[in-house]
Amino acid sequence: MNISMNELKAALRRCFEASQYFGGNYEDAANMILWLEKHGLKGLAELERLLPYITEDTDKQLSSMLYEDSASAIIDSHGRSALNCIAASVDLAHAKALINGIATVTVHHCHNRMFVLKALTDRGRCGISVAAYWQNGTHTVTEHVAAIKAGARYPSYSEAVTNLSAGSDLKQTLTIICSSRVDLTASLQLSKGNRNARYISPDDVAENKAHSIEHGIEIERDLWDRINQIGTGILVENNDQSRQGAGY
Amino acid sequence: MTTSATIQNSMTGDNALPLRPPSQVMNLERLGALHQSRLSFMRTLVRRIMRERWQIEPARLDLDADGYGTVVYEVKAPNGLFSFVLFSHYLAPENRNDRVIANEWDLTMALVEGRVDDSYLEQLHQNVPLQEAGRVDSRVFVLSRANRSARTFDYVVDQLARGEQPDVERITKVGYLYRTTAVYGSGKLGMADWEKVFSKHKDFARPFAAEMFVCLMLRNFSLLQAEHIARHKAPDTFQTMQPEIKRHFGIGNSTGLGMAPFLVNHPVLISQWIGMRELALARIRVLGGINSLVKQTLNTLIGRCAQHTRDTATEDAWQTASNLQVLVDLDALQSYVATDFDTWDGLIAWSEQNCSLQGQEMLVSIMLEIYPELVDDLEDFHNVEELLDLDPIMPLVQLKEVIETRYNWALATDFNAEGARETCWYRSEEKMEPRLGNSADEEAKQKQMAMGVGYAVSKCYDELCRYITEHPQQNTARFMVARPKMRGIVRRIQTMNRCIYGDIQTNLLDRNVLPIHLLRCKLAFFGVGKFDPRSRLWVRNTMFQGAPLLEDIGKAFNDDWFMPIAPKQGRPC
Repeated sequence: MNISMNELKAALRRCFEASQYFGGNYEDAANMILWLEKHGLKGLAELERLLPYITEDTDKQLSSMLYEDSASAIIDSHGRSALNCIAASVDLAHAKALINGIATVTVHHCHNRMFVLKALTDRGRCGISVAAYWQNGTHTVTEHVAAIKAGARYPSYSEAVTNLSAGSDLKQTLTIICSSRVDLTASLQLSKGNRNARYISPDDVAENKAHSIEHGIEIERDLWDRINQIGTGILVENNDQSRQGAGY
Repeated sequence: MTTSATIQNSMTGDNALPLRPPSQVMNLERLGALHQSRLSFMRTLVRRIMRERWQIEPARLDLDADGYGTVVYEVKAPNGLFSFVLFSHYLAPENRNDRVIANEWDLTMALVEGRVDDSYLEQLHQNVPLQEAGRVDSRVFVLSRANRSARTFDYVVDQLARGEQPDVERITKVGYLYRTTAVYGSGKLGMADWEKVFSKHKDFARPFAAEMFVCLMLRNFSLLQAEHIARHKAPDTFQTMQPEIKRHFGIGNSTGLGMAPFLVNHPVLISQWIGMRELALARIRVLGGINSLVKQTLNTLIGRCAQHTRDTATEDAWQTASNLQVLVDLDALQSYVATDFDTWDGLIAWSEQNCSLQGQEMLVSIMLEIYPELVDDLEDFHNVEELLDLDPIMPLVQLKEVIETRYNWALATDFNAEGARETCWYRSEEKMEPRLGNSADEEAKQKQMAMGVGYAVSKCYDELCRYITEHPQQNTARFMVARPKMRGIVRRIQTMNRCIYGDIQTNLLDRNVLPIHLLRCKLAFFGVGKFDPRSRLWVRNTMFQGAPLLEDIGKAFNDDWFMPIAPKQGRPC
């Protein structure tokens, strides 16, 4: 079925609010998913993978700082989804880069790292260059890199299947590099045994956005119903007392 | 030429004009005292239509003798062709309900890009009458519905059928033939997102321009339909309505709590709207020359506003008292102007000492009316990109200062006082309608919407003060890693600090909060009049009363339908 971007955003906000995401964070989560989908980067597919675990982050420890100096930091996200922790890590990289020229923040134990693209794009728009790198996969390892130039509106993104062995230390790790002095236009090298490499340029991302604006978003009915069903958790039962609060 | 840069220079820095301060303007009671002005969206829309001479013609007019059927208007605007599609049905009186939860209406409507062929019209016919229960696609960008006024519709039809004009006094008491109960846009129900409307349809690329246009078209159709039915009822005696009386019909509107969260959820946009109104006022205070013609116009407008206020019918005791006070204010204003008026600053200062808030804001609207050359160019600056960006490098000491400066009203509120957090806003499972509840209701409290900005700021400030004692040198980014639950409110605080006017300065959780002020504020920006509160939670009002008719497009237009008053009965056409 076809829905508008606004409908998707509103439904996602309700969904994450009902899943106990805190204020400010459920908006971020909704925006991160919408951003990916709107720009042709499969945000709904990523959402579908995380939906079975959507309420689990409530019981997890908040991110903690493992190491920090003026130009770098290591953060443990304790298995949280990037939806509710990654934006703060990108902001931290931004702040450190403004002071030092370049900064690195490594985030461990973080799921759904694809959602970093929205946070990264926000920082790029604010005038700083950012790149992010991560690996994924239990059996076959894929690697991913996203980057945006300072002041740009759209990032690039590339992914490839590697010949790396599973169980790498980098599993569930995301590395963010941020610079106020260097334009980081990162992409994956093809000469390192990578297969099925895919590169999406900023122009491609912009074109995908134009299509979504014109035509809206395609979504499977079942996924749409599941999002809305979770969102009903924030609605209050309709009764006589409640109707008085509507003013009639 | 006015640009964003010149506006910025007029509002901040060495060349800034003397704007009223946020502490005065963003007070909720004052916002609830705003009136329509020439910057209101209905006024700016009508100016555009009249100056650009939009061609609006019926492409299909399939109505039976009772006025039921399908109507399509084609709208040729400078940048595109659009279709206004309307379905009129029989509605049993017992099913006529103005609430958002209704599921049948007298009329349903859609504004669509491009021309509508038979196949697409059928698709619309299957869905538009269902409203929330239907789905449309991204060619549609406004969806609305309306009900007939039981007080006027049949009466007007009978009068015209008899060859008589409607009684102006009776019409004035109501002001419309139809009342719209919801106007949807911005991507709801599968429609085009605002991003599409803004980027593709320049004719409607101003806030709520398309929504206002649908209401204007509804007003036009309501008059056409009444005449159509009367003509079929009594072809031998029927007479058309006099244009002056037609222009006195607007469109009724019922607005409830659904509109209130918008003002809290779109703080950057609201700050921009307020900013343009305040900039217009500041321009007049500094640049508005005063001569005998200006004094005469001022005097005329004060008299017109008084008559408009006298014409406003309401059973609400608070609004009645308020209107009576406005009449006292306007009377005093007229006396002051006749004797002591020589500067706008002096007049504003006098009004702040001697008039109610509604009287003061009425004067502001009047002043804007007198100087189109200082005001009208600001209508192009009501849009703003609504980005709430975190400033990660801001030192925490500075963040604390920002809160102390920009949110001193929130810090001054005792949120532990009795009743200070008694109200909670939540969404009902019935069409997700926003409602007010009491925090004693656990479910409502647990599921409440984030409307308590002041309370959230206050909690953030306390948390920040504790954190800062241990980490005085840190910046916002580091605070966000340590206290991620504060991210939303910190981002809002920093963003609003970059806006001139910022957040509405009131505790919306207070036991005595009056949501109607929020509704009234937004409705004033739309340009409605004749406020008639039905409770503290919803208000009836009138849109487009006095506006030109479709048949006036292309004729002389003096843009003078501010605070319209009733025409004289029997005046020749």
